[in-house]
Amino acid sequence: MTHGQVTRRQFLAGTTVAVGALALGRPAHAKGSVTAAMYPGTWEEAFRMHVAPALKSAHDVDLEMTPLFAVDQIAKAQAARGAPPFDAFVLDPGPRVTGIDRGLYEKFDAKRLTNLGRLSAGMTDEWGVTIAAQVVGIGYNPKKLPKPKAWTDLLKDPWVSRLGMTGFQTTYGTVSIIEIAKQYGGSETNVEPFFTEIKKVLSKVAAIGAPASMPALFQQGQCDITYTNTQTVATLRGRGVDIEFVKPESGAVSFYTTMHVAKGSKEIENAYKYFDTVISAPVQTALMQPPNNFIPVNREVKLARDLPMQSLDEMAKFVHHDWAKINPLRAGWIERFNKEVAK
Amino acid sequence: MTTATAEIAAPAARRWSAALRPAEWQLVLPLALAYAAFFLVPLVLLILVSFFDDEKITTMGGAQWTKFLGDRFTWKVIADTLKLGVFTVAATSLIGVPVALVYLGASARWQGVILFVVILPLLTSVVVRTFAWIVILGREGVINQTVLWLGLSPAPLRLLQTEHGLVIALTQIEMPLLLLPLLSVMSRMDPNLRDASSALGASKWRTLFRVTLPLSLPGLVAGCMLVFASSTTAFISQLVIGGNRLVYLPLLIWQQSLVVYNWPLASAAALTLLVSVGLGVAAIAAVGRRGHAWALR
Amino acid sequence: MRRRRASDWSYSIVLGMLAALGFTILVGPVVIVLLTSFTEGRSIKFPPSGLSLQWYRLLFDPVRSSQIHRAAMNSLEVALIAMASATVLATLAAVGLARRRGAWVRAVDTFFMSPMILPMLAFGLAALMYFTFMGFRPSLALIAVGHVVVISPLVLRTTAASLSQLDPALLESSASLGAGWLYTFRRVTLPVIAPGIAAGAFLAFVASLDNVPVSLFLAGPRSDMLPIRIGLRRADRDGAGADAGDGAGGRPHATLAWMTLMRQP
Repeated sequence: MTHGQVTRRQFLAGTTVAVGALALGRPAHAKGSVTAAMYPGTWEEAFRMHVAPALKSAHDVDLEMTPLFAVDQIAKAQAARGAPPFDAFVLDPGPRVTGIDRGLYEKFDAKRLTNLGRLSAGMTDEWGVTIAAQVVGIGYNPKKLPKPKAWTDLLKDPWVSRLGMTGFQTTYGTVSIIEIAKQYGGSETNVEPFFTEIKKVLSKVAAIGAPASMPALFQQGQCDITYTNTQTVATLRGRGVDIEFVKPESGAVSFYTTMHVAKGSKEIENAYKYFDTVISAPVQTALMQPPNNFIPVNREVKLARDLPMQSLDEMAKFVHHDWAKINPLRAGWIERFNKEVAK
Repeated sequence: MTTATAEIAAPAARRWSAALRPAEWQLVLPLALAYAAFFLVPLVLLILVSFFDDEKITTMGGAQWTKFLGDRFTWKVIADTLKLGVFTVAATSLIGVPVALVYLGASARWQGVILFVVILPLLTSVVVRTFAWIVILGREGVINQTVLWLGLSPAPLRLLQTEHGLVIALTQIEMPLLLLPLLSVMSRMDPNLRDASSALGASKWRTLFRVTLPLSLPGLVAGCMLVFASSTTAFISQLVIGGNRLVYLPLLIWQQSLVVYNWPLASAAALTLLVSVGLGVAAIAAVGRRGHAWALR
Repeated sequence: MRRRRASDWSYSIVLGMLAALGFTILVGPVVIVLLTSFTEGRSIKFPPSGLSLQWYRLLFDPVRSSQIHRAAMNSLEVALIAMASATVLATLAAVGLARRRGAWVRAVDTFFMSPMILPMLAFGLAALMYFTFMGFRPSLALIAVGHVVVISPLVLRTTAASLSQLDPALLESSASLGAGWLYTFRRVTLPVIAPGIAAGAFLAFVASLDNVPVSLFLAGPRSDMLPIRIGLRRADRDGAGADAGDGAGGRPHATLAWMTLMRQP
């Protein structure tokens, strides 16, 4: 009985316990379940409320959700390559394209969805299915600012000195900057005019910050105008914040949120049942109601009045972007943004 | 290490008695093994990944390092990051030491109250604390309302998303990291030494700089090391209070690993942060050792 | 005599003012969080429009906040286990390193600090790659292991600082009087370093509760952690935000009620 040996023995015992705990900690996939990555907050709550019960009653499949943002899903799936920590992705276009590029999805067979016929054309491809749309435009405080008309107003007085800006980190930030650049002669692959214009007004911009902190900055009056999506505006309005959505003259931007099967998933069958439930008309209708404020993709859903369009077909007229072209340029833009904006 | 080999080689009987007092390396061993298994391997993995040229990690090479370190902007960001750490350490020390002295002079009951106040920032989470600072430093925030009411400035001051604002907020956020080690050392200090100093006619300032501070220096140094390491890597606070106008290394690492998925570059940036902040921490430790040796002379 | 009095005055004034500033900075933000948590509104606006306990009622509602409660239990469990392990490991290491001098000791000491400096996002991703390679799936146990690594430096630093207060002569006299190592440790060393260990353990516990990046990447589907459950990670689906470097945790109700408020649509 010596202290030195005790230390070592205890350590060995400790290690054994730790390793044993790790082995026990492996999640045992119950029969009839699917693990889905899910955006935290509004999305996860809405899915828990509406999708999980529907999936259970229709297919007797349990929905397990692991709260992860799109960017985190890609990172986690890539780090745990070969043993995906979840079965289904939910992604916006930027991360979606990265996932295709890195081979993180199983091939998608749209014919396995019974609700396929109720979707608009082009809502599925060889990699996944569209489950919601997002419309991006300008959100502003009508009590503090006159109504802006165009993307270019963001860089003009009186709006620019109250502008809250985010960079290329998010899908909505990237498309908004592209649209601003377009008004000054740029294009989907050329945001140079944006950098030229922003340089002139940079010192006036009220806040340049993290996208996640924008709602808080807006509520605290640090900024009164920003580019954002209808869902965020509707959510903030629902909480009594003075904010209104404006569709810019050149058209609002639209993009789709898609779902994908993780490469190597053992629950492929249930993943399809999950997707099918998400795009079914009753679930899509429930997701559209406040406080969820989703934009549906199922044509049988009667659109809510406060959405910026009368029918889903109208969305085709909105501005769309080709993320396969944008993604390779994004690293350079982010670097450029850092350098231009940093003091 | 020689003790180690000698011990293993020693006859059983001698080992028996020698082991009653565990050799120092044996005490370090459990943590060292835990780190080897769970930290060193991931670290080596990061080093490996940083030596790939392409984002998909297929071709080896040093291109990412050349690109990262060859950019003048990188060096500016490293300098800014270290500067932020130095400012935060200076601010927390300047304000934390007087708080610790008040603690030292207080009655036992008040010491309990002060200790509670010191850990208060830890009782709210990082994110909530950070948002409280938006409320304080914002355009319509507490400070600006006061300034406007007092007529000190015609327009709201810009505090949020400036380096000053960030350092002020970090001073609160990191203060417990400075004060807890400092107080734990100070509380074991012999009060007679300070009384003797005053009795011998030393002024209060002199007692502070010649007796109290030197004796509590190990605690202060430990606190400074923790504050430096924590403030230079405090991503949320840097991003939310600092905004994108201030670019620090953690932001670059986050962008590269989670937005553009260039993990080789992200690894290179992470290792750069590790080395540069590690050197800063080692420098604080070295200053501490010098100071301690000087004080004990 | 008069000069000395003047200097003592300046001492009291300067230090008193700095300490007052210190207390204000420490307490101010907490007061604001506390007041905001009693708001009757649905958004986080300071000053609050009116006072109510609605967010506390929601927080303690066993049905509507069941997710939060489950996550809180997970976080607490991980934090307790990680804190206990880190405290034992780091205290032993600190005692082992305390009386050694020399370059290699300094090198080991710096190495032991490095998990705190290496960006946790990078560590989390690398650890996930490594554990996956070893055949482990993300789980609560993996989170605990990850936390032990990143919080140990806090205990090591504070304990090492307290050890400097230990007079080596005391140890030697204890040994020369025939006391065993354990006895000496218990009766001589421990009383001196106890405040340091306690301080470090507390910091480690809080750091574990607050951790997002390591938990995020090592969490499995059933290992929901409090700071991930209730972060400021709403409203923003790409998640390009303030979620990756530090974390949101919540201990006293003020924080939690505030978080519930932020989470609420």
